[in-house]
Amino acid sequence: MEFAIISTLNGVTYGLLLFMVSAGLTLIFGMMGVLNFAHASFYMLGAYVAYAISPIIGFWAALVIAPLFVGLVGMGVERYLLPRVHKHGHAHELLLTFGLALIIEELIKLFFGDFPVNYQMPAELRFSAFTIFGTDYPFYRLFIGGVAVVMFTTLWLLLTRTRTGIVVRAAERLPHMAEALGHNIPLVFMFVFGTGAALAGLAGAVAGAFYPTNPNMGIELGVIVFVVVVVGGLGSLKGSLLASLLIGLFSSFAVGLDWSLASLLSLVGLGD
Amino acid sequence: MKHLTLVATASVAALATSIAHAEPLRIGIIESLSGAQTSTGRLYANAVKYGVDRINEAGGFNGEPVVVTEYDNAGGAPEAADKFRQAVADGVDIIVQGASSAIAGQLTEDVRKHNIRNPGDEILFMNLGGEAMELTGDKCQFYHFRFTTTAPMRVNALTSAMKEAGDLGTKVYAINQNYSWGQDMQAAIEAAAPEEGYEVVGEVLHDVNKIQDFAPFVARIKSAAPDTVITGNWSNDLLLLMKATGDAGLDVTFATAFLDQPGNIANAGKTALGHYIANNYDNAAGDGTFAETYRQATGHLPIFVEGHSAFAMAQLQEALKGLDFAGGPINVTEIALALENSTYDSPVGPISIRKEDHQSIRPVVVSKVVENPKFPAEGTTLGFAPVKIVEGKDAIYPVQESCEMDRPEG
Amino acid sequence: MMSFRSVLLLATLLALLLAVPPLLDLAWQNALVNVLIASLFALAFNLLVGQAGLLSFGHAAYFGVGAFAALHLMIAIEDGLAFPTPLVPLAGAVVGLVVGLVAGFFATKRSGVYFALVTLAIAELIHALAPRLEGLFGGESGIGSMRMPFAGIVFGSTIEVYYLTLGWVLFCGLGLYLYTLTPFGRLTLALRDNEQRVRFLGYDAHSSKVIVFAISGMVSGVAGSLLAISNETANYSLFATDVSAQVVLQTFVGGSTVFFGPVIGAAIFALFSFLVSDLTRSWVFYQGLIFVLVMLYAPTGIGGAIQHHIRHRRQLDWPALAAPYAAMLFGGLLVAAGIVFATEMVAVMFGEDYARTREAAGGALIPFELFGATWSPTGPSTYLIPLVLLGAGIAILVKVRRRIDAVWAARGEQGSKTQTLATTGGIQ
Repeated sequence: MEFAIISTLNGVTYGLLLFMVSAGLTLIFGMMGVLNFAHASFYMLGAYVAYAISPIIGFWAALVIAPLFVGLVGMGVERYLLPRVHKHGHAHELLLTFGLALIIEELIKLFFGDFPVNYQMPAELRFSAFTIFGTDYPFYRLFIGGVAVVMFTTLWLLLTRTRTGIVVRAAERLPHMAEALGHNIPLVFMFVFGTGAALAGLAGAVAGAFYPTNPNMGIELGVIVFVVVVVGGLGSLKGSLLASLLIGLFSSFAVGLDWSLASLLSLVGLGD
Repeated sequence: MKHLTLVATASVAALATSIAHAEPLRIGIIESLSGAQTSTGRLYANAVKYGVDRINEAGGFNGEPVVVTEYDNAGGAPEAADKFRQAVADGVDIIVQGASSAIAGQLTEDVRKHNIRNPGDEILFMNLGGEAMELTGDKCQFYHFRFTTTAPMRVNALTSAMKEAGDLGTKVYAINQNYSWGQDMQAAIEAAAPEEGYEVVGEVLHDVNKIQDFAPFVARIKSAAPDTVITGNWSNDLLLLMKATGDAGLDVTFATAFLDQPGNIANAGKTALGHYIANNYDNAAGDGTFAETYRQATGHLPIFVEGHSAFAMAQLQEALKGLDFAGGPINVTEIALALENSTYDSPVGPISIRKEDHQSIRPVVVSKVVENPKFPAEGTTLGFAPVKIVEGKDAIYPVQESCEMDRPEG
Repeated sequence: MMSFRSVLLLATLLALLLAVPPLLDLAWQNALVNVLIASLFALAFNLLVGQAGLLSFGHAAYFGVGAFAALHLMIAIEDGLAFPTPLVPLAGAVVGLVVGLVAGFFATKRSGVYFALVTLAIAELIHALAPRLEGLFGGESGIGSMRMPFAGIVFGSTIEVYYLTLGWVLFCGLGLYLYTLTPFGRLTLALRDNEQRVRFLGYDAHSSKVIVFAISGMVSGVAGSLLAISNETANYSLFATDVSAQVVLQTFVGGSTVFFGPVIGAAIFALFSFLVSDLTRSWVFYQGLIFVLVMLYAPTGIGGAIQHHIRHRRQLDWPALAAPYAAMLFGGLLVAAGIVFATEMVAVMFGEDYARTREAAGGALIPFELFGATWSPTGPSTYLIPLVLLGAGIAILVKVRRRIDAVWAARGEQGSKTQTLATTGGIQ
């Protein structure tokens, strides 16, 4: 029972973090058909920017500034780089973002080195939320989950309850029609891309203080996030929320119960 | 003196057309100088260069300064094989490598094959950090020398020192990375249990540097309620594990092998207090002369793997002292034979080579993280204080049966 | 059919490949072996991406299984199996084909982005499983063997390995080229351009794609086994994402729309990494930058640009182009110099060594060494030089490009060079 509860809690918070990153990816893909390989790099960029500026402006301000910065980078990519390759099809867009991911990762190594950097949460957040079965449950985990929930609700309300949301959804379904109705679709796309990137940046800024901030964090998370968006059905926000939680829970329980693919394979005689 | 040698070398070079050139000893560092393990690779390279500088300050070898070249293996075994061929092309006599057992495995095989194919033009491999048991087991060979500890050495030293200090307890949990090093650690932890009187209450092997969230593992550790967690984890896997344990408020002592990797102490903060490490060297363990000399030469105190790597080069220097090729061709086999018989008095105790498998018999330093130590780590108030130095003869483990070494004839 | 001139060109190239290497030193011979292997791998990859329009992000899988298959065969030969060493790559071909068939069956059920993700996932799966399956892949240290002598050839020296590799690369390269001329090869192109139409014509698009995928896997397997023969070992890192990434970079920089384009990219990258990777720690960064710049400004790659020039060679006013092209080269060099300077400067100033020397100097911004000169972090020249190089280079490029466009337009065609380049490109 104890194991089940702890694992569920861990799984849900980790799943929510995954969702924060995959939400942006899903949003961009659903809208523009661009699978952004650099998305996990935006996550990493968020963490590093927050790390770099938090000593100057403080943790909370960094939590605002870092996503904004990453969002601007995202907008720049959408505005100046993607249109150049757009006419060659989605594969070229994929390749471009793939190249950008390489560049961002190497730039971060160039400026911050290969070691994990010491990005810490502020002391006032470092306490245990509650004690369950003798184990402290860190508040920051709940905080990560909380940020994700707030973000999801805001995004959901924005898309379904506001005028902007209607325009965005219209641009997703029938961009030409929406444009004909007088909406500035390129601008909408740019903002969607920027928002998606900013969400990843926010996830990085929040999670980087809990998980270590290192130059491999993008790749490590990237693969899982791709799995999430594919399982969730590319482009569906609800789907990716569900998939994030599922994969978060699965990885949490799999550890506890010592499951692995290799042991599954050894069942059919492919083991060592 | 240095200038004089330089001038002398230059004039010799100018006359090279008429005078036969003495052959310099060439050392090739094949390290991870890009990629994920760059930081560690860089440290090995630093220390080797420091050691070579010492040899050259003392007059070099064979009438020439020792030449050292860096090759970047980008952290991959295939690239390492490629760079090895490049080193061969450059006429390297000794190759040095440390970061990653997998690459060490690749290089020792490359060296073996090269030496079979090129008798009389052998290459020697100084392994500074590949701790996989198979390197002195299945893959052991005459031209491979390991200048570091292995899992049993670290675990035996850790458990005995912690037992003496009363920090070990009776219940031990083993969490390690699922590859040869982690498996070696786990085997060593199981093997040491009867002698040190503990029970292994749980074991887990997990993916290497892929796990973001160690909370599930902490939940598992907690349900086993151990006193001590022994782990061979390095890099992120160690840091995250310690952080997750600290966040859960779990009161266990960690016994580690790589806690001194740069970034760990600063990142873990107070969570690291009271944890143990078994290592080849610690700045606070010697009398401080070596640390100070190193600092003066390189601008920083020896950190992480730099200390014992510098010792390896110093041991090479000892071995070279007894050799004289009179400016003629370098005989690598003789260097290897000399290394076998060499002893180096390191700041923490003598280091020698076991002839049967070329594992170095060396002291193991067990330290504990304390506040306000002699040498604080990376801008923190924390650092290591030595608890015990286990002498080489006590730390060493029996030769593995799988080692069948072909010695050169004569 | 090939013109007399291109046959002559190929014959010269072949003669050079045969005659020159014995004269080179070991390091260069080894570098050429790498170039050849990378070329074959890129050609195999491009069969899928350039010909069939399927962008795979997990080709390391087929390259890797080929290497392991070859090694297992080599181990068997070492243990006494009578099998000629030069034919070892056949093992890679067979296993690459089989794995390609299985993986291709699933992957080609989807196209576009989904296909890319599925191939990525398959490679990741193998990469994650390989270290656990010690019997097959030998754990993280991998498996190793030795090339056994055959028919009096010892295969001990690099030059012997070079000729063996050259033979296989030429054989497979020629095979791939002839394949593109067969009716099925044409069908592959049709799949890329209009899959629906292929279906309407009565072909089974899925099984055709599986076959193309499997052939690509087979040749990748041969390339992998050549690497295994050259290295005599392999470990699971062959399945890593960066192996897949490398072949993507090389193919697209070389040009995926031209048959021999990938060879250009593979040759450039392999030679550059041979020459540069020990000099700088930012090699991967430069690679990424080159790739992105090519994607942005020459989407058909170097090969595409060359082909474009050859195609229009009679219509172009070459004397008028000479000066602007020289200027463009100069501008490009300036930009490259500026970028390299800035990057290396950042690498030094943010590097650990510099941080430590600063610490030793009490935190002062002390001068540092770079390119054989001393630079002060507070001196204006340190920042002005890269800025001026970059600024001047970009200015020249922008200006020259207009002139080049004008010359190209004067050839009677409408639109700028980049637009015409674009029309020759395009995978789905």
